[in-house]
Formats: sequence, C-alpha cells, structure tokens
Amino acid sequence: MSKEILSLQNITKAYPGVTALDDVSVSFRKGEVHALLGENGAGKSTLIKIISGAEKPDSGTISIRGAEYSELSPHFARELGIEVIYQEFNLVDTLSAAENIFLGERRGRLVNQREMEQAASLTFDQFGVVIDPSALVRNLPSSLQQIVEIAKAITKNAGILIMDEPTAPLTMSEVDTLFQIIRTAKSQGVTIIYISHRLEEIFQISDRVTVMRDGKCIESLLTAETNRDQLISLMVGRTLNEVFPERPQCSDEVVLELKNVTGNGDTDISLQLHRGEILGLAGLVGAGRSELAKMLYGAVPLDSGSILINGQETRIHSPADALAHGVGLIPENRKEEGCLLNMSVSWNIVINVLKKISRWLVVDRKEEAGISTTYSERLNIKTPSLLQRLRNLSGGNQQKVVIAKTLAANTQILLFDEPTRGIDVGARQEIYQLMSKLVGEGHSILMISSDMEELLGMSDRIIVLSEGRVSGELEKNEFSQERVLELASSSEARQEVAL
Amino acid sequence: MNEITSARSSLVETLLSLLRKYAIFFILVGLILLFSILSPYFLTWTNLTNIFVQQSYVVIAAVGLAFVMISGGMDLSIGYQISLVGVTTAALVKWYGVPLPLAILCGLLLGICLGLFNGYASVRLKVHPLIITLGTMTVFQGISYIVSKQSVILNLPPAFKYLGQGYVFGVIPFSVILMVVTVLAAGFILNYTYFGRYVYSMGGNEEAARLAGINTTRIKLAVFAICGFFVAVAALVLFGRAGSAASSTGPGTEFTAITAAFLGGISFKGGEGKIWGLVFGVFILGVLSNGMQLIGMGTYAQYIIRGLVLLLAVGFDEYQKKRLLKLKQK
Repeated sequence: MSKEILSLQNITKAYPGVTALDDVSVSFRKGEVHALLGENGAGKSTLIKIISGAEKPDSGTISIRGAEYSELSPHFARELGIEVIYQEFNLVDTLSAAENIFLGERRGRLVNQREMEQAASLTFDQFGVVIDPSALVRNLPSSLQQIVEIAKAITKNAGILIMDEPTAPLTMSEVDTLFQIIRTAKSQGVTIIYISHRLEEIFQISDRVTVMRDGKCIESLLTAETNRDQLISLMVGRTLNEVFPERPQCSDEVVLELKNVTGNGDTDISLQLHRGEILGLAGLVGAGRSELAKMLYGAVPLDSGSILINGQETRIHSPADALAHGVGLIPENRKEEGCLLNMSVSWNIVINVLKKISRWLVVDRKEEAGISTTYSERLNIKTPSLLQRLRNLSGGNQQKVVIAKTLAANTQILLFDEPTRGIDVGARQEIYQLMSKLVGEGHSILMISSDMEELLGMSDRIIVLSEGRVSGELEKNEFSQERVLELASSSEARQEVAL
Repeated sequence: MNEITSARSSLVETLLSLLRKYAIFFILVGLILLFSILSPYFLTWTNLTNIFVQQSYVVIAAVGLAFVMISGGMDLSIGYQISLVGVTTAALVKWYGVPLPLAILCGLLLGICLGLFNGYASVRLKVHPLIITLGTMTVFQGISYIVSKQSVILNLPPAFKYLGQGYVFGVIPFSVILMVVTVLAAGFILNYTYFGRYVYSMGGNEEAARLAGINTTRIKLAVFAICGFFVAVAALVLFGRAGSAASSTGPGTEFTAITAAFLGGISFKGGEGKIWGLVFGVFILGVLSNGMQLIGMGTYAQYIIRGLVLLLAVGFDEYQKKRLLKLKQK
C-alpha cells in the first residue's frame, strides 16, 4: 500500500507571465486513490500534463517505479502505464465499444471481432456493468462512454490512471457505478489520481488528498484525517465559516405555477414557485429537469397543461416570449447554450435587450456600455475590459456574464440549470451569494442541481423528479441526502437494467 | 494572475488580428507592385478603372453572400441566381415588352424570392444551406435555360446597359457607385444595427442566439433574402455590362465570391469577418486575374494560381488560429 509508484520532486513550470507550478513535490502510492484538489488555475492541469508527458517541466525530477526522468513524452508516459481520462472523451463515436477499447492495438494482424468483443465484455463484467461491446459509442449515454474510456485505459495495463472531473457528466447512481469501478481498479493495484471540484466525492472515494493553490502543493493529507472545512480553507487560503448564505424566509406569493404540464419527456408536472424563493429541482440526469426548464423558457413547446405567471395564464411560445414575461434561463451547457464565446463581454450582456436599446435599428452604443458596465460591476465580473472576448474569461466569470444578460432583460423568474457546473470553489461562493442577493431583491429562482450539497444548502424547498414525473416534495426541515436520492430513484429499477 | 494572462493574450490577439488585417492589405499592395513591374499596361488609369468595373458585380454578389456566411450558412447557388435573374429581366424587356423599371423591379423581387426559397428550404428541411443550395443551384440552372430558351437575348436597351457600362459625369462608372453604396449599406447593417448583431450572434452560436430570444428562423430567411437581393443587383450590373443575356453568364461567381470571403477573413463556420475584408479579397482576386492576363499567362495556369491562393488563405487562417490557441493555453 505505501509503496511509492510515482513521485515528483521540485517540479517547476513557468509560462510567460505565470508560474504554473512552483517547486512542487508530491508522491503517489501504488493502489491508492489520490485526490488533487484546488481552484481553477491552482496548477492541477499543468501537473497532469507533466505526468502524462504533454508538457515538459523547467526543472525538477519525475521518478516512476524508482527510475528518474527529467521529462516525459506522451508516448513514453503511455509505455510507463500512465493513462489520462479527460473530461472530453477520446473515443471514436462511430466505432463500437469493443473497437474503441482495442483501438490502436493488435497491429499487423487481422482484427478478430469476436475475440475483441469477448475481451471487452470480460472487462465490463469485472466492473459489474452491462454494455453491449458491439454497440456504437455514439449510441451510449455519456456515463457508459466513460466506462468504455476507463476500460480502454485499464486494458492497456495502466498502472497510473488520471481522471479529470470524471463525475461531471454523470448522475448520482452512475457516480456510484463509477466509484465501484474505481474501487475494483484500485484493488488490482492501479493508482488513481482523481481530480474533482466536488468535495463530497473526495471523501467518498479517495485515500489521500493533495491540495494545490497558486501553483504550489499546499499539503497532502489522509482523507480520513481531514474534513471539508479544513480542505476548503487550505484551498482558498482562508477559512470559510459557512458555505451557504443564510436567507430570510420567502413570501407566500406565488409567482409561477405549473398545472399538469406535459411535454418534452415530462408528464403531468404541477408545482408552485413563490416570490423570493429558491426552489430546488432534484433528480437524476434524464429525469426531465432541464427538459422542464426548456419548456418553461419556450425553447421547446408544451404538449398540454398550463403555466401561470403572477396568477395569469401565460402562453410561452419562444424564448422571446419567456423573456417578455420575465422568465430567464441560465442554461446547463454554458458554452453551447449560454455564451457567444467569440463575442465581447458587453455584446453578450446586452444580447437579450438589443432591440430595446436600438433606435431605428441602430444599437445605441452608449446605452450598451451603460448596461454592461452596470451589470459587470453589480455581478463583479472580472475582465480586463468589456470588449474582451468571452472565450478568454474563466468559467465562473462566463457564468456571471450569462446571469448578467438574463438579468439585463429584467427577468423576475430565473431558471438556473446547474448554476455552478465546472466552476471553482471561490467563484461558486460568489454565485451562491449572488443567488441569495437576487432572491432577497424579490427574484424567484428555480434551481436544477445535481450537486447534493448545493441542492440542500441553497434550496428553500426541493421538488424531486423521476422519469419525467414529480416523485416528491421536501420542505426545508425534511431535507436529507438520503430522502432526495430515494425519491429521485423511486422508479429506478428500469434504469439499473439499462446499466 | 488570471487577469495578467488574459490581458496578455488579448494583446497578442490584437497584434495577431492587426497582422491579419495588414496581411491582406500587403498582399494586395504587393500584387499591384508586382504587376506594375511586370507589365507596363497594368498601372494605367484605363486598366485600373477596368478592374473596378469588372469586379463591381463580384463585390455586390459577395456582399450578399457575406450575410449568409456570417450567419453560419453558405450559398452555392448565387451563380445561377445571377443567371436566372439576368435572363428573366432581359426576357421581360425584350420579349414581353415590359417597361425597363418594372422589369428591374421584377428581377430584384425574383432575386429575393430565390433567396427566400433557399432559406425556407433550409429551415423547413433542417438541412445545412450548403446542401440545400447545392440542390437549388441545379434547379435555378434548369429554370434559367428554360426562360432563355437556350438562346442569347441580344441588344439589351441602352438604359439596361447603363447599369453595367454607364458613367456618371463621364468619369465614375455607375456600377462602381452601386458597389460603393452596397458595401457601405452592408457595413452599416452588419456593424451598427441590432439585426447585424443577430446575424453575427447566430453565426457564432445558433443555439445560444435562439435562447437569447432571437428568432433564428426569421434571421435565416432574412439573410437569404438580403443575399438574393444583392445577387440580383449584381446580375443586373453584369448583364448590363455584357449587353446581352445568356444563361451561361453568372455561374462561377459563387466560387470567386466564396474564395474572396475566405481571403477576407469570413470564416466557414460563421460569426466573424468584416465586409471591407471581403472587398479586399475580391480585389486581390481581381488584380491577380487581370495581371496574369496582362503578362500573358495561360488560362489554365491562372486557374492553378487562383486555387493555390485559396489554399494559402485558408491555411494561413488555420495557422493563425492554432497559434492563438497555443498562446492562450500558456
């Protein structure tokens, strides 16, 4: 257990203007799950790149199984049994699961389809999952794609497996499957370097945890001997007394009511949202939460049922309608649905209100500057200039821009779909503060979240969806992770078969 | 730390984009210098006016195409749109005795309709306009030959010819004035109006644009209608200059216009590029073909050069993007 397989000594890596890694020393033991924790920009990804040979360190040594190297190449790292699973999978969509696993192997021989598929099923069996090895990868859900990715790494006899935010695309039950697989791999002596923003996962799965901050390794701790407060304070360099801000109770006034809403995979959904309330919408991925938000926002049509805004029955046919009625969406996939990445920050902020700030078709640039300055100050958006391309901002600041553009449209009901996905801890705090401030100002929030801590910490009330139906509602005093999970998986039998 | 890096990368980005802007300018100046040295006839008033007159219709059509391309679409059918609009207008005047102003109006309306048809088909069938216009291109070709009865309509009236051959005050070619007006109008629409921003936004990220409350269907129809309109104007200029109308006039313009758009920095994916870049692109191609002709290069050798220019332009574009990406990662 305590045998060191990989250790880095005094690694320094500087890019022009930034020292990404500053005299970092850290070691990884055989057969452990070692979590790397740190805010974005702390140096985790650079560290991974050095271990996987994608980048060369300026100084320092890398020892692997006792042999010392000053640098690695991607090819050589692979030969040493180091495999990385990135957030974006490296799978060929149009090939089968088995073909992906053995891609690039067995050169010089004819590929034996059956043998390959048998070997693949054997690996899947080990993991305790059922995947048809001949299924095309593009037809698999992302959770299974990830398992294919892991299987691919393991069959290459990886001794060190690096996983970068592996749970980001997964639902709660899929995370359990993943953890099971990680434990299996670990028992076979594989070292797993696990990167995640989600603290609760780190406590569930890791043996040790190394906290990084500003390019330095702050501390390596045994997970069993630490707690989340200590980790957070190590990560941000200060103590956070409370993660989730306290809020006064919301009013009884109903601002949004759904009556028997059906469509887009959801059936017969009824719920009420009060002024100043954060209503959490829980459920597994695929339970129909984002689908509901899309319907409320007019992006997808309703089949039947009605939507009442401030007691008035309202027809929402398009996002423009929704915005006109004061309903805004902060979408789940920020980059694909929320941002115009190549456009400037101010372009993005005013996009919802362009028509309003135009006279005779011409955009009033003064008004544009006014609105974008107001919101970037109010939301504390960190950007060198409002003319900066959105692409160049951090995830947290991009998210703030998306919120800013939604608020600029004078929206009262905000649909937050995974408000802090892919955002580091510090920025996450800011988003939480902001959401609290918004409800304090009389906005109402429907928050979809797969992050249990966030869900329990931020919501005033939680509604749980399962397979497109409401499976339960929890008041604040009934909140518990177990309750939510139970309701979310209330008819999960079918899903388990699929896995 | 983050702010410093992003400020740095924005500086680099500005420098690179300046270099890119100047690059196309230098290429044009370089070509002009090159041909001035190689041929004594190149740098003469007559020849330069000639280039302007020859390229004016290309610029006008390319401007129309730019709307579609910036919105993330593509129109391969503009060559046959020119052909169809041109022969229809000519046939109306010569064969059916329609007064010229009315015939021109019909031509412009026809152009808008052809564009709308492309847009509508793309929206309705949910297929990329590249494929749609690959189909409509052939449709328009067929209609054009039926309308012209596969013949050449000779001796267009002088007022028609004026569109392509006329001079205002005896010095400024009318077609060049049309071209300048087109470029200014398009530049204004794209840079200053909310419609222009919608077009860019849609090209940048259609789904995000849709979720921002933009009616993307309407924008798609609009850009194709605008494209059709400008292409019809280009058709009138081209047929006016030719003085006669045949269905074989026009096709090929699409490739010149697309090449010019790439040269000018209008990306295949949409969401970026400026009209003035496109104008430079057209004139680079124009100067190139004019110069090559003056120095007596064979037609087929010219094809090779023009093709290589496109490859270089696209290659340069990709190279820049990769460099930018690399710099950003650091």
